[in-house]
Amino acid sequence: MRAFEHPVTYTVTIAVAASLVLAPLVIQGLAKVGRITDARRRQLWVRWQTWMVMAPVVFAPILLGAAWTIAGIGLLSLLCYREYARATGLFREKAISLTIVLGIMLITFATLDNWYRLFMALTPLTIVMILTVALLADRPQGYIQRTALGVLGFVLFGHGLGHLGHLANDPNYRPLILMVLVSSEMNNIVGYIVGKRVGMPVLPQTSPGKTVANMLSGLVLTTGLVMILGQSVFRGTVLESWQHLFVLGVLISVGGQLGDLMFSSIKRDLGIKDFDVTIPGHGGLLDRFDSIVPISAIVFHYVNYFVGVGVGEPIRIWTSRG
Amino acid sequence: MDDWKYKPAGDLGLPHHEAFKSLKRENGLIATALHWIWWSFVRAYLNLWHNLKIEGRENLPKDPPFVLVANHCSHLDALVLAAPLDLRLRDQIFPIAAGDVFFTNPTISAFAAMVLNALPMWRKRCGPHALAELKQRLIEEPCCYILFPEGQRSRTGEMLPFKAGLGMMLAGTSVPVIPCYLEGCFEALRPETRWPVRHPIRIRIGKPITFESVPNTRSGWEQVATDLQAAVKGLGQE
Repeated sequence: MRAFEHPVTYTVTIAVAASLVLAPLVIQGLAKVGRITDARRRQLWVRWQTWMVMAPVVFAPILLGAAWTIAGIGLLSLLCYREYARATGLFREKAISLTIVLGIMLITFATLDNWYRLFMALTPLTIVMILTVALLADRPQGYIQRTALGVLGFVLFGHGLGHLGHLANDPNYRPLILMVLVSSEMNNIVGYIVGKRVGMPVLPQTSPGKTVANMLSGLVLTTGLVMILGQSVFRGTVLESWQHLFVLGVLISVGGQLGDLMFSSIKRDLGIKDFDVTIPGHGGLLDRFDSIVPISAIVFHYVNYFVGVGVGEPIRIWTSRG
Repeated sequence: MDDWKYKPAGDLGLPHHEAFKSLKRENGLIATALHWIWWSFVRAYLNLWHNLKIEGRENLPKDPPFVLVANHCSHLDALVLAAPLDLRLRDQIFPIAAGDVFFTNPTISAFAAMVLNALPMWRKRCGPHALAELKQRLIEEPCCYILFPEGQRSRTGEMLPFKAGLGMMLAGTSVPVIPCYLEGCFEALRPETRWPVRHPIRIRIGKPITFESVPNTRSGWEQVATDLQAAVKGLGQE
């Protein structure tokens, strides 16, 4: 399918491009009428500049093709794991880290090959490898901590994010992945706008900024967006119904917010503010893409269960002899 | 249940260009792979092009912490000093390099950090805080440093006086210091030349010295510098 063949693809692309063009005017306008402080204006300005780079970096592989998308998600998985490993200290365990990196690369390969069975088998096999490789140091002290951190890292960034890449094996992947990304971002934007002024914090020790108000606002708006876009994305399938789209929208919103809370909890446990400083104004990649991690598996399995992902597409593209 | 102990990377939160120059910089998988490749290449190069001879290898400790010091007259010196060390220590060996030479240009800074695994010493503004940080890392990590107490390359090949700064790191500690003498590096790559010429190089490795009983005072630091200078000079006269 050509890049802009599906209406959701070009609608989302144009909407994002338009938002980026209009954002500076909105920021300046709000500052002029005194609706935002000078500090907030500067913060928004930095964030806008970063989005001007991030948006093309995210959109380009999706528009270029499935292989580019899968490779891009594989790279994202590796970079997210790197941030996690550096934040937890796991990076010092070179053998475990190398096992996880190889596991993520194999997951990416299995996805590129559209070899679902290998994709699913790699998770338990990599976990066994992590536990085995950790024995080689002959250092039982801290074994559970090292291996548990390793398994968590692989499950989140290899297996979890890998599901997003596997969506690219469906011919309809562009509008689907763009819908997932845009709706998860809607959660974050609403949360940022509503802020922590309104409502009680949900988990004050974990994330003081997350209030009932901003979670509910995100839930309503994200679900609404999924219901609107989903009608076009899933046209002609059972998921086109408003009931399915409602459930999917709730799952994406709740999943995204859980992802946000999970990584906030990890940061609090580690005593750090951000995972890295890769993205000016946002922190690290994990600070930006935390909500995508649980959403990836949720969306993949929901769609796969009711409709199937990549049905009728060639499997084992490179590894099959036939 | 007891809480787990986490130790995030020492340079977490620093942008790349700051992380390269940080004394708290730590190595990930890519840096480890680069070190392995680089030092394997350097070893092969020194053996084939300079017929490197190593005397006194048995004096090298098996594990860190320890410090290697030598006379300094060439950019080859750090490479030669690291050559006899076990490849498994590659991530733990930190050549201490002049910050104003190796860490001002971003590309050279990245190379010095990611490939050489060097840590910067800012010669004109090296305060006690930086030396204290290096000392803490040496003992706690633990790791190995490659240091040139003269503070600069000799332009004539003759040894310059050792500076007392090294003493601030070593006086009163049980960290072994291994004095070494490098022969042939000056002729192979003089300070004013860009590319090395084929010339035999020899390294003599002396017995480890510790300065546990030396007081951590100005006079103690100078004693460390004097003793090490004598040890290195003695190796050169053998």
